[in-house]
Amino acid sequence: MNKSVSQPDQSAPDAEIADLLRRWHVERFLLREACLMDNHKYDEWLSLWADDLLYWVPCNSEDIDPVRQVSIIYDRRVDLEMRVSRLSGRYAHAQTPKSRLQRVISNIEVLPDADSLIVTSSFVLGEVRMKEEVIVFGRSEHILLPQGDSFLMSRKKVLLLNIDKELPNIVYLL
Amino acid sequence: MRTGATDARPRNSTAESRLAADGVNFADLAQETRVHSAVYTDERVFEAELQRIFYRTWVYVGHESEVPDAGDYRVRQIGRKPVIMIRAKDGAINVLFNRCRHRGSTVCQQDAGRVRQLKCWFHGWVYGLDGKLIGVPEDDGYGEDFDKSAYGLARPARVESYREFVFASLSDDGPALTENLGPACELIDLMVDASPTSKLLVDAGVQKTVFRGNWKLVGMDGYHAPYVHASVFEIFKKKADQGAGATHSADQRNIVTTIDLGHGHATIDHRVARQRDSTRYFNLLKTTPGGKEYINQMRETYGERSELLLTSAGDPHLGIFPNLQLIGNQIRVVVPVAADHTEVLAFPVRLGGVSDEINARRLRMHESFFGPSGVGTPDDTEVFERAQRGMQVDEAPWIDISRGKCREVRNPDGTIIGHMTDEVPQRGQFRAWRALMTDV
Repeated sequence: MNKSVSQPDQSAPDAEIADLLRRWHVERFLLREACLMDNHKYDEWLSLWADDLLYWVPCNSEDIDPVRQVSIIYDRRVDLEMRVSRLSGRYAHAQTPKSRLQRVISNIEVLPDADSLIVTSSFVLGEVRMKEEVIVFGRSEHILLPQGDSFLMSRKKVLLLNIDKELPNIVYLL
Repeated sequence: MRTGATDARPRNSTAESRLAADGVNFADLAQETRVHSAVYTDERVFEAELQRIFYRTWVYVGHESEVPDAGDYRVRQIGRKPVIMIRAKDGAINVLFNRCRHRGSTVCQQDAGRVRQLKCWFHGWVYGLDGKLIGVPEDDGYGEDFDKSAYGLARPARVESYREFVFASLSDDGPALTENLGPACELIDLMVDASPTSKLLVDAGVQKTVFRGNWKLVGMDGYHAPYVHASVFEIFKKKADQGAGATHSADQRNIVTTIDLGHGHATIDHRVARQRDSTRYFNLLKTTPGGKEYINQMRETYGERSELLLTSAGDPHLGIFPNLQLIGNQIRVVVPVAADHTEVLAFPVRLGGVSDEINARRLRMHESFFGPSGVGTPDDTEVFERAQRGMQVDEAPWIDISRGKCREVRNPDGTIIGHMTDEVPQRGQFRAWRALMTDV
C-alpha cells in the first residue's frame, strides 16, 4: 500500500461530516417524498407524516395569519386523511384521469433546530393532464423530526410562485 | 353617482352583427326549457353578452369593508373593463374606470393597495381619490381653455350599494339596484345578519381559480351534488359531525327548494331544512370558543329571527345574475374572459363581532371544500370543462333545462318555486338572459 496516496482528510471537523451526512439523509427523504407525490402514492405519502401535523399552502401572500386569512390548503391530520381518502377513491373527477407529474427538487438548505430540522427547498413541477401542460414553481419549508435513519414531517408549508394568480385545479400532492 | 362620462357605449359589436347576418336570434337560442350550446361556445354570443348584459345591468364590484380607509382600493373587472373601487377622503366609495383620460394607460397597477392619489406614469397625470384630475405636468402646453374638471376618471353610469355590497351599471336605464335585487335582498340579509353586529369583514383574502369553460356554467344547481361531489358524499357518510357534514344531510334533498327570484337571481333555499337539522350545528358552535356568546348575542340582537339566522350560518346559497354568488361562507364573483374562459374569485367573509375561533373554523370549512385544492371546487371545474368540450358537438345541440317544469309553482309575488333538484334556477337565469339579450 502506497502511503503517499492522499487519504481522506482525517482532520476534517466531525461537525462537517455530520452536516454532510445530515444533508444526504434529508435529500434522500425529500426525493423519496417527491417520488411518492409524483406517482400518487397517497397512503405511503401519508405515512411520512407525524401524528400532529400541518400541511399548509398559503394564498395571496407568504406571510398570512391563518386565523384571519384564507389559505389554499390548511390541513391538520383529520383534513389530510380526508384529502387522501378522497383522492384514493373512485369519484375524484378532477383526477380522472390522473395527472402525470414530474418534479425537480433543488436548492436544499438544512437548519438544525432543537429536536427537528428546518428544511427549505425549491421545486419545479410539470403536470400533463388531458391536453394541458402546466408548470408550477414553488418553495417548500419542511419541519422534519428524526425517526430512525429517516424522518417524519410535522409541518410542510408550500409557497407557490403564483400564490396570488388565478389557479387551475391543483388536486395532486404538493 | 353620475358623471358626464357615460357616452359611447356601443351595444352592437361587429361580432354580434355577423351573428344577426347568419339569421341567428337570441330568443331562439335560449328557449324556456332548452338552450342551444352556441350560447356557451360561440364567441359572437359572448361579445354580445358583454355589451348587453355586463355593460348594462347591475354587476357586483366589491364589498365596502374591503376598503375601510381613505385611499384603500381594489381593482376589479366589469367584463373586460378594469375598474377601481376606492375609498375617498370623505368616506365615500368611488368606482372609477382604470384608464387615464390622457392616453389610456391604467392608473392602478395592483389588485389591491392604499394610495394617496392615483398617478399615471405615462406622462405623470395625477388624479384624486375621487377621480378628479388634480395635476398635469408641464401644463403650459395646453391652452387657456383646457378644463381639468372635464378630465376626471370616467365612472360607471350608476353605482349603488345594498348592505355594503357595491354594484355598478354602465347604463343610465333600468331599475334601481334594490328593485333589481327584489326578493334576493332578504337572502343577502341572511349572510350579513349572521354577524351579531350586522357587519361582514371581507378582509380574509381571495382564492382565484380559472377554468376553460363558459361563465354561465357557474350556477345554482341543486341536482349535481351527489354526482359531481360523489367523493365528498362518501366522506360525509363517515364524518357526519364535522365540517360541511354538520350542515348537510342526504334527506334534505326532499325539503330544500329552488326559487327563481326574478331578474335571473335564484336560491337553493336551505332555510327550512337547516332549522330542522339544527342540533348538530349548534353542538358544533357550542364546542367552539366564543360559540355560546355568539348564540346569546344573536338572540339579543335579532330576537325570534336569530334562530333562522343562526341555522342559516350566513349561507344564503344565492345567485345574483350575472356575476355574484353567496354560497357557504363566501362571496363568489364570476369573471367572464371569453366564451370558453372564466375566472372565479372566492372571498371568504369573516363575521364582525364574533370570536377569532369561530371565524377561523369558518375559514377552515371553506378551504376544505372550495378553492383550487379543495375537495369540491376542482370537481366542479373539471365537470364544467367536460361540458365545454362536449358542447362542441353540434349534432343534437340543445342543452335540456326542463327538469321540474312539470311541477314548479308560481307564487303570487311572481317567484317560482321547485324541488331542490329542479332546473328552476337555470330557467330563471335564461329568462333574464333572454330579456337582456333581445331588448336592445
